[in-house]
Amino acid sequence: MKFYVCIKMVPDVYAPFQIKDGVLIMDADRMVLNAYDASAVEEALVLTEKHGGEVEVVCIGPAKASETIRKALAMGADKGTHISISGDEAFDSGSYARILSAFFKKKEYDVLSLGKQSQDTDSGLTGSMVAALLNLPYATNAVGLEVEGATLIVKRQGDTGQEMIELPTPCAVTCSNDMNEPRIPNLKGIMASKRKPIDVVELSSLGLSDDELSSNSKVISFEHKPARKAGQKFEGDAEEVAHKVAQLLDTEANVL
Amino acid sequence: MSSILTYIAISDGKIKRSSLEVLSRSKALADANGLTCEAVIIAPKATSFIDGVQKYGASKIYTITDSIFDQHRNAPLLSALSKVIGTSKPRVVAFASTEGTKDILGALSANQNAGVVADVSSFDLTSNGVKAKRPVMAAKVVGNVEVTGDVILISVRSGSYDLIESPINAEVVSVDFSSNEGDLKAKLREIISATGDTIDLNEAEVIVAAGRGVKDDEARSLISELARVLNAGIGASRALTEAGIYDPSLQIGQTGKVVSPQLYIAIGISGAIQHVAGMANSKVIVAINKDPDAPIFEVADYGIVGDLYKVLPPFIEELKKIKS
Amino acid sequence: MEDKFDCIVIGGGVAGLSAAMTLARKNMKFLLIERGEFAGAKNVSGGVLWGSDLAKLVPNYWEDEDGGWERFINQRRLTFMDEKSTFSLDFKSKHFNETPYSGVVVLRSKFDNWLSSKLQEAIDASDYAMDSFIATNIKVDEVLMENDKAVGIKTGEDEFHADSVIIAEGVNNLLTRQVGLQDKYVPADHMLTGIKEIIRFDQNVLEDRFQLNGLSGMSNEFVGWATDGVEGGGFLYTNRDTISLGLVLGIKDLRDKKKSPHDLLNHFKTHPTVADAIRGGEIVEYSAHVVSSGDSRAMPKELYKDGILIVGEAANLLMNAGKAIQGMDYAMRSGILAAETIVKAKAKNDFTSSTLKEYRTAMDESYIMKDIKNFQDAVHLLHTDTMQNKVPNLVCDFGRQFFTIKNEPTPKSEKMLLGAIKKYSSIWELLKLGFKARKSL
Repeated sequence: MKFYVCIKMVPDVYAPFQIKDGVLIMDADRMVLNAYDASAVEEALVLTEKHGGEVEVVCIGPAKASETIRKALAMGADKGTHISISGDEAFDSGSYARILSAFFKKKEYDVLSLGKQSQDTDSGLTGSMVAALLNLPYATNAVGLEVEGATLIVKRQGDTGQEMIELPTPCAVTCSNDMNEPRIPNLKGIMASKRKPIDVVELSSLGLSDDELSSNSKVISFEHKPARKAGQKFEGDAEEVAHKVAQLLDTEANVL
Repeated sequence: MSSILTYIAISDGKIKRSSLEVLSRSKALADANGLTCEAVIIAPKATSFIDGVQKYGASKIYTITDSIFDQHRNAPLLSALSKVIGTSKPRVVAFASTEGTKDILGALSANQNAGVVADVSSFDLTSNGVKAKRPVMAAKVVGNVEVTGDVILISVRSGSYDLIESPINAEVVSVDFSSNEGDLKAKLREIISATGDTIDLNEAEVIVAAGRGVKDDEARSLISELARVLNAGIGASRALTEAGIYDPSLQIGQTGKVVSPQLYIAIGISGAIQHVAGMANSKVIVAINKDPDAPIFEVADYGIVGDLYKVLPPFIEELKKIKS
Repeated sequence: MEDKFDCIVIGGGVAGLSAAMTLARKNMKFLLIERGEFAGAKNVSGGVLWGSDLAKLVPNYWEDEDGGWERFINQRRLTFMDEKSTFSLDFKSKHFNETPYSGVVVLRSKFDNWLSSKLQEAIDASDYAMDSFIATNIKVDEVLMENDKAVGIKTGEDEFHADSVIIAEGVNNLLTRQVGLQDKYVPADHMLTGIKEIIRFDQNVLEDRFQLNGLSGMSNEFVGWATDGVEGGGFLYTNRDTISLGLVLGIKDLRDKKKSPHDLLNHFKTHPTVADAIRGGEIVEYSAHVVSSGDSRAMPKELYKDGILIVGEAANLLMNAGKAIQGMDYAMRSGILAAETIVKAKAKNDFTSSTLKEYRTAMDESYIMKDIKNFQDAVHLLHTDTMQNKVPNLVCDFGRQFFTIKNEPTPKSEKMLLGAIKKYSSIWELLKLGFKARKSL
């Protein structure tokens, strides 16, 4: 099966940062492969190793994104495409989805896979947007994937339980990071990735109008999460403390 | 007149509380901005929920009835919603942010060419769209977002708004829609509902959550007993669901369920950011942990530093007394 | 067999990166392997990079204000501490404002990462742009030896071959021990634990409080009460909008005195002078690392072998003789010298000891080994109880007496000094110390 995995370069969301005058400033410039996309790449590799096929990755990003593509190639992807943008465009999920669908209109594939959300925005919209724009059957929040002939079997974590969904190919799927542990590229993989091709595609060559590229949502500013009011802490004799808190839940908090 | 349309999700034969929270907010905004407050119910027995919905202020309720909606399926839901939106032509379509919503929100906005913002903790109308606050950066930071457009789709994190009753006699509009499973490209083979008859965490008023400190059968049975006494849902941190000790559908956290009960009791949970992101909207948080430096104590309203084997039995006893 | 490298550099710290940059510029085919997620991920320094080698590796680095360095040092302070007082030697000078700077404060995760991007540029410009590279997140498990000569490295199941290996693995030099150049266990009294916090201020507040101008910065080392009787000292360095505040502590002494580094750092922060300096700051990072004490007895038996060169802290190249802690500059210079030796070896096609020993020669002739030899006594002196406890106490006591002005007749300074000396030490002891100091400093 031919897998096309869309990957995104995101800041390391666990690195230290500051908020100054509503602007989010990361302490270091470290950018990483979106963890959910890494799971998508991993699963594509597992399935093609098992059933045969090919894994290609595509990334929309500024120049530095080529490192993210290399990481996916080092994991084992066969080929990469870098859709080159400046990085200052402030695209939202919709812009990214329209760019991706313009790119995929001319491509052949069995499965179009993405991480279910990206760590910088946690919006989780792009995947199903792309599926809709390309009119592909799709499933989101996959926690397991399997291939049966020309069908992709998706185990989806839904509200009531796990849904087993059969998707005819070509199809789209978004992946949860609960699906697997993405492999850490070994030295052989890193060395091999240097020789794998990365096609660079200029955004302008995809023929999208300014309107199609523009975002209709914008982040105006950032602020710190409002702190929860400080609570009461109890130590000491277990029985005493347990009784006390139980009483407080009744009389003070009124939640019983 | 323009409207705010709220999607009412039905689960297990009941209206999901989170949908009613969103409806309450939509009603307040509609009143404040001179818009009508409308709702849509898409379910096999959609009309049986009219009373439950008009209680919260929806003056017009669209219903679509079809057996295809007995389980969540994205394709028919998208078609059904598109039809209602075409009929209602709302300014804003509001959803509770559930897995079902996440499955369709992006696709719906693409189909409708609508603006969209997901997973907000609060939202307001602007002259040409919506402004909202939403958590970003592993829920450590709040982003202020503005979306413009003639139609905006929005999903709201559970627990962001209170239920506000505002009873009204609604106009019910039944929308014609039918879907054949055979016509669908994606097929739902089966649903493995491991939770079975346990309380749905998204609806629970009280949740007892187990973390790494819950190491053995004795601890687990204490958790079950506490949940029984409080009629609580049982949730777990990622460590335990990954270890297979509790089912993944019980995972509470950034990548699991986001819950907003009245009372959340965290037992043996350290309080890592990713877990807190899933329960910070709880009204009252109790934490039991033997590490006095555990971060969970920073969010707990009542923190008990102690050994759960020693604290839980008297805690359960006292709660039994109070409840009787 | 896949292609062989001229050299595999093990470790992406300052020594490894400097060696690799030099190899790249001389068009060698090499592999740099770093076990952290990115170069700098596993490194912690105080710390200051002294000397002008950085300017050699990255010419005009100071022009890139967004480069990996924080501030240049134009103020040096050495502080003696007792419980309530500090007595400091403070030198600030415009002389130090000129480029190339004599020292820059760095934060390793930023600095190494930046230096690594410069290395990538050097690789891209070299003849082996497609064959040399930097691999991160990879741990070298073993140096492959054949007839006691290095022929490559092994990581996991994979083997990679090279004519030579530069071991830049840092202070926990397991591979240096594996190849037989260091004993399996290193005496605990040859090692220190460094522990530090990075404390953030509004940049304007920081510059005001420490009287900094533009990108000027201050380095401050402390001895005495700071470490509560444990061998070692304290440090404070100014970064862009944070300060690095920490301690280095003798591992054996910590163990013997049953003290914890964490508690000692908190103790240090309560000293009135330190508390005043850090007031209102927010702790944003906490880190620790083993560091050599600079005792030359801890150095490996030899710095080279057939196919092997040892650089940086893997060779225990560090010195703190009281004036400054020099580690990163030693790492940088040794990395450069090692790489130059490899280039010579390649030209002669001889990677055996007969060529590689030129590295040792170059090191012996460099300021590094000369200083380490010449100042060993000073290093030992610094670690004596006299210097660590008695001198700071008596200096501070003297200071208190000297600077107290009362409405009473003022005693003569000599009397005050003798009083302080007698209280904490003795004239004889100080004379001995002075004698030793005169020779060793």
